[in-house]
Amino acid sequence: MSQPCHDMQERILDLALGALNEEQAREVQRHLDTCDSCRRYARALAEQGESLAALGWRVQADMDARRDRAIDALQGVAPAGPRVLPLAGRFARAAVAAVLVLAVGILIGRFTSPKPIDVEQLRADLQASIVASLQPAVRQSVLSDVDGRLDAALAARDERIATEFVELLRQDLRVIAAELTTGSEQLVDERFAEVVELIEAARQTDRRQVAKALEQIRTQTGMGFLRLATLTEGRPATR
Amino acid sequence: MDRHSDTDLVRAVRQGDRSAYAELVERHYAKVFLVCLAVLGSVHDAEDVAQDAMIAGLQKLYQLRDAGQFGPWIAQIARNLSINLVRKKAAVERALNRKPTEPVEPAGPDDTLRRAVARLPMELRLPLVMYYFDGKDVKSVARTLDISTSGVYLKLKTAIRQLHQILTADGEQK
Repeated sequence: MSQPCHDMQERILDLALGALNEEQAREVQRHLDTCDSCRRYARALAEQGESLAALGWRVQADMDARRDRAIDALQGVAPAGPRVLPLAGRFARAAVAAVLVLAVGILIGRFTSPKPIDVEQLRADLQASIVASLQPAVRQSVLSDVDGRLDAALAARDERIATEFVELLRQDLRVIAAELTTGSEQLVDERFAEVVELIEAARQTDRRQVAKALEQIRTQTGMGFLRLATLTEGRPATR
Repeated sequence: MDRHSDTDLVRAVRQGDRSAYAELVERHYAKVFLVCLAVLGSVHDAEDVAQDAMIAGLQKLYQLRDAGQFGPWIAQIARNLSINLVRKKAAVERALNRKPTEPVEPAGPDDTLRRAVARLPMELRLPLVMYYFDGKDVKSVARTLDISTSGVYLKLKTAIRQLHQILTADGEQK
């Protein structure tokens, strides 16, 4: 079976549903007059719709009887809702639910309690429990406080020690610098004195060497310097 | 006879007037039945579930916030109950390790058409059945199914096209 024109399929479906106005319907009809495939398609859809409507009529034929049976079935049914909760409303329902939950909780607690409450025992237990629960907390609080104070004191002391240390270091540096200066001057003086002594010692040595040499000359010649000088003064004159 | 609005009737039922609910049933039963028939595909099952839906509507009427929306509301109840029945039947079929069976209806001249409609997806079957079985009123279908009229048109066109394809294919096979 040949297919209807692609661009006409939607129009033919609209026609089958009666969704076209008169002008649109006439336009589609003009195309159907000239196109066998589209005409067959439109006729098939129309027949399909008629079959469905006919099926619907047959189903509707017994509708009144079914409806009556449904109404009869309602006779024994009690409507629920507003009669159960006259103050129907979210808040009212929530309040009622809360009260019911509380009441149930109280009843459960009361009926599941193993024995009457011993007030003195309960007080003692509570005291022991409170003390036991508080002591670690108090201890922890005190320890935390001490730790905090210690940290603060250490921090302050560290700062003071650091300041003092810097001051001491500065003083030591100044002393060392002064001593270095003084020491260097003394060292120069000492070195200078040593040099002078060395020079003096050398001169003394030279003197002794000269004296020794003169003594040796006098010993060897039997004359003193004065005699030797006299002898030497007269030699040119004798020539 | 005075024609009361759905809102008036719902209020009357809430005040204890049971006859007002009978009037609501008179007014909406056919659409409720067609919703059930579209989902279930069986007249007998549809009648049972439509009746259950009307009973459930009476019992749950206090839950209806907008009394003027009784029609779509009761149709939704019917649809949910129908879907539940389909699922239960499918579960039973699975438990028995059998293929799902089609609704058993007396064989007749409409048999081919019924089977073809049953093969459409439910979201197409519903507007198709509601439209052709209840006076071809698109606006009425839109109100009952609580969707737009353009949405109904779109679904109807798709349903008609697919139904034609199914019937054509079946005809060619034979």
